[in-house]
Amino acid sequence: MSTHRTGDPLSKAATAAEIARAVSHDKVKASAVIEAALKRIAAAEPAVNAFTDIVADRARKRAAEVDAGKHHRGPLAGVPFAVKNLFDIEGLPTRAGSKINVDGPKAARDGALIRRLEAAGAILVGGLNMGEYAYDFTGENAHYGPSRNPRDTTRMTGGSSGGSGAAVAAGEVPLALGSDTNGSIRVPSSLCGLFGLKPTYGRLSRAGSFPFVDAFDHLGPIARSTEDLALAFDAMQGADPDDPVCTHLPPEPTLPHLGEGIGGLRIAIAGDYFARGGEPEAFEAVATVAKALDAAKTVVLPQAAAARAAAYIITAIEGAQLHLPRLRTRPQDFDPDTRERFMAGALLPGAWYVKAQRFRRHYRANVLKIFDEADIVLAPATPCTAPKLGQVMMKLGGVELPVRANLGLFTQPISFIGLPVVVAPLQRPGGLPIGVQIIAKPYNERAALRVAAFLQAQGVASAPPA
Amino acid sequence: MADDKPDVARLVDEAAKAIGLPIAPEYRANVILNYERSLMIARPLLEVELDDELTPGPVFRP
Repeated sequence: MSTHRTGDPLSKAATAAEIARAVSHDKVKASAVIEAALKRIAAAEPAVNAFTDIVADRARKRAAEVDAGKHHRGPLAGVPFAVKNLFDIEGLPTRAGSKINVDGPKAARDGALIRRLEAAGAILVGGLNMGEYAYDFTGENAHYGPSRNPRDTTRMTGGSSGGSGAAVAAGEVPLALGSDTNGSIRVPSSLCGLFGLKPTYGRLSRAGSFPFVDAFDHLGPIARSTEDLALAFDAMQGADPDDPVCTHLPPEPTLPHLGEGIGGLRIAIAGDYFARGGEPEAFEAVATVAKALDAAKTVVLPQAAAARAAAYIITAIEGAQLHLPRLRTRPQDFDPDTRERFMAGALLPGAWYVKAQRFRRHYRANVLKIFDEADIVLAPATPCTAPKLGQVMMKLGGVELPVRANLGLFTQPISFIGLPVVVAPLQRPGGLPIGVQIIAKPYNERAALRVAAFLQAQGVASAPPA
Repeated sequence: MADDKPDVARLVDEAAKAIGLPIAPEYRANVILNYERSLMIARPLLEVELDDELTPGPVFRP
């Protein structure tokens, strides 16, 4: 892979890897990198509304310490990054996109993944906008305004990690963290034209982040290159007793393998459910990627529609249960677009929840069989490109459907069983970008990243700043 | 089979009462709409038949 470019580390196009190399080799001061990022944020925010909190003083202090050699210059030395505001940031309330949480306690320490990125030399610059309590695929928020898609600011970023998508696509920061319960990293990566990684369920610690649906909550990075995804992912791996779901498997570095190409990988295309119910551009993107990878074989993930239904039910019931005390006491302070969905979820039958969990085991066993014959499965990330802000209904495959419930149509059956996925973005000349899911078996993030890196090196996938 | 269709409005009102969740009149129509939407989306799951031996996946380790 030819990622060792030497672009200007102070430009909005600079990747995390380029910045870290420049800082490590004393070509540029971390302080200068941070000042440039803060300037870009100030300039872009009126248009994209990605940030809810900017921690400029903290970032400047940290940068000065990096420059003074106080911290080990790790693989992310001097890299500015920002996090979806459901991550704890020391001294700030953890908004999780809500108004209610602002009245809650201020975080006593940073979330685990912020600590790990900073231990690798990265520098946090702020918290990012998101759909309320992560129950969202649009990136819209009644309290803080919608995050706007830098590729076309009249359109949605996708959500719920909408600010994460907007900040990276606008070139405000090269790296952002998001969360993905049903698609909340992959949907904004697709609609904003970015690389995104939803790791295996339990691979990265969720300690110090506001939960949504424990059964499916994942955290992960969004960036403009596969090298940056790998750098961030490698820095964040490792067991954490503070998250009972976090794996005890040893970290498996992905960066050293990124340039290995696709030799030896069996790559298939998801058919059936994943080949219908979307707009033509979603399937054209998969075909383009499949052609570049010389993949022709089709596999079927059995009962994907039931998997999507089960993910929906578990989400509705777990999410509602979590927020029931607030729904009782402060319903007026919820975003109207989440409130009534949470309320409905609180009333669904418990038997459905248990059936969905039982089905999850059944579906997992059947889908894992596919990986006996394929290492990678390709599927659309979203059924369409970015809808207009405020758009309520959309036409998918000729059928009129609600936007909110359906942007995650193709992501839900995958996160339901915790498979790792990299989204590779395709920029479409004269049109909006769209992403393709590169799905691997559990704990094989390495293979998914290799495939995405190959597509990037071939010029098929790319994520320039808007 | 029209008689088999659940009265979702009544179901929402009574279930909300049972769990002590007040739903203000201005929210009610949308809660009912979302409940109906859930019934529709859940259908493919509810149609699946599972063996009795199939227990849920999550493991609680004491």
